[in-house]
Amino acid sequence: MPKMKFHKKFQKEKKAHSQKGDVSISRRFFLMASAMAGAMFALPRPARAIKFFKSPVTTNVLRPPGAVPEEIFPSKCIRCGRCVEVCPYKAIRPLDIREGIYAGTPLIFVEEIPCYLCMKCVEVCPTGTLRPIQQKETRMGLAVIDKHACMTWNEELALCRTCYNVCPFKEKAIKLNELRPVVIDDYCTGCGLCVHGCPVTRKDGKKAINVEPIYASRPVKW
Amino acid sequence: MSKKKRNKYTTLRLVTLSLAFLLILVTPYLNLHYQFNFVQGWFQSLSIGNLWFVSPLEGIESILTSRMIYAPLLVGMLVPVLLAALLGRVFCSWICPISFFSELIDRFLSLFSKRKLRPQGIRLSKRLIWFALMGELLLALVIGAPIFVFLSPPGLVGREIMMATLFKTLAIEGVVVLVVLFLHIVSNRMFCRYFCPLGGLLALIGIKRRLVIERSDEECINCGICKRACPLGLDPEEDEAKSAYCWNCGKCVENCKVSALKFRWKDI
Repeated sequence: MPKMKFHKKFQKEKKAHSQKGDVSISRRFFLMASAMAGAMFALPRPARAIKFFKSPVTTNVLRPPGAVPEEIFPSKCIRCGRCVEVCPYKAIRPLDIREGIYAGTPLIFVEEIPCYLCMKCVEVCPTGTLRPIQQKETRMGLAVIDKHACMTWNEELALCRTCYNVCPFKEKAIKLNELRPVVIDDYCTGCGLCVHGCPVTRKDGKKAINVEPIYASRPVKW
Repeated sequence: MSKKKRNKYTTLRLVTLSLAFLLILVTPYLNLHYQFNFVQGWFQSLSIGNLWFVSPLEGIESILTSRMIYAPLLVGMLVPVLLAALLGRVFCSWICPISFFSELIDRFLSLFSKRKLRPQGIRLSKRLIWFALMGELLLALVIGAPIFVFLSPPGLVGREIMMATLFKTLAIEGVVVLVVLFLHIVSNRMFCRYFCPLGGLLALIGIKRRLVIERSDEECINCGICKRACPLGLDPEEDEAKSAYCWNCGKCVENCKVSALKFRWKDI
């Protein structure tokens, strides 16, 4: 049967071909893979630690005022840098490519330079990523006092009330309860002035009062 | 034809390119030291007083990936889109800072070359630019985050200038600009011709543009100089200067010995 014959022959050929191909591909693959692995280890440490999809927002590392939820921030922001440029205190800093898809997005490191709530950045954002809101509506985060680290709460005789003094919403956002500071979450804007002013530094580098970005993870309303 | 008239468009273009570059060079400085916020930003988003511009591709990416429409964003995109719809890809040839650097490189390279026109270099299919645009948008949708917003070469030039002025550092992604300029040294306007998604979008918007370069059949002697002069590797003799790919830089008009090519405002 000629048909069968042809079929067999074809199969044979195919087999031989694929075997040959397999060998060379696997060798090539192995070489490529080892070269890539070598390149990975040759790179410096920060380059290997690229976090492509992990949000850089954490304690004391906050988005500027009026920011949309973190879930949608990297897609809405066009990285035009106008909030960075307009900030008179240089508090807002853009990230670079090591933060993956968050590259170019603005952040405020409140321990270094806090937000003074001048509200210039929300006026210039062309995409609505920073929504045009009022100063008192700002919710960059919520200040949380570590009562174990705060000396006013810890020691009987200490009378530090720096956070109370620097707070732009004194007597509203931070009140004194028997000379000890207490944060009122209805009014705290999360500007980080208290963090910047706090004289106590914990062992882990954080302060006795820290701003937690609790509003960054709220759900998006489409 | 006098020499002065022959370089009219190039001179004009170099002036606008330099002014545009000067604008993004001094704005961060003025913003930082004099709190002069009247002019702000760079070519991703620029504001002059209350007049706001947003780069169309960045705006479209933002709308597509966030699935939200913000009216001021659309208003900001209006002027660039109108400009592209009427004049074509003129942003690329008359404003873009990458074009500015490329022209500088061209002038520098011409010091070492006896040839008046740069050889065209590697030729690929012109249609690649549409694939660059589609691929870029698709990739952004797949990842769920815009990509061109932090890797666009013209935007990166502005960002690096701002970083250098404000924070005295540079961002790593500025390497993209160097790669693009290196590609230009390898082959004439390689990135702009084939890989720039923004150029692709502006070309797409300007597909029925009003300002075109028209060739008169009677005067053309088919010498082929326009083809060699075109920085995009188009052939005006085959009326490719009327196609969507042309960015109206006027190089072919200047180089034409018999003035067979002219800018023309097309009526509908």
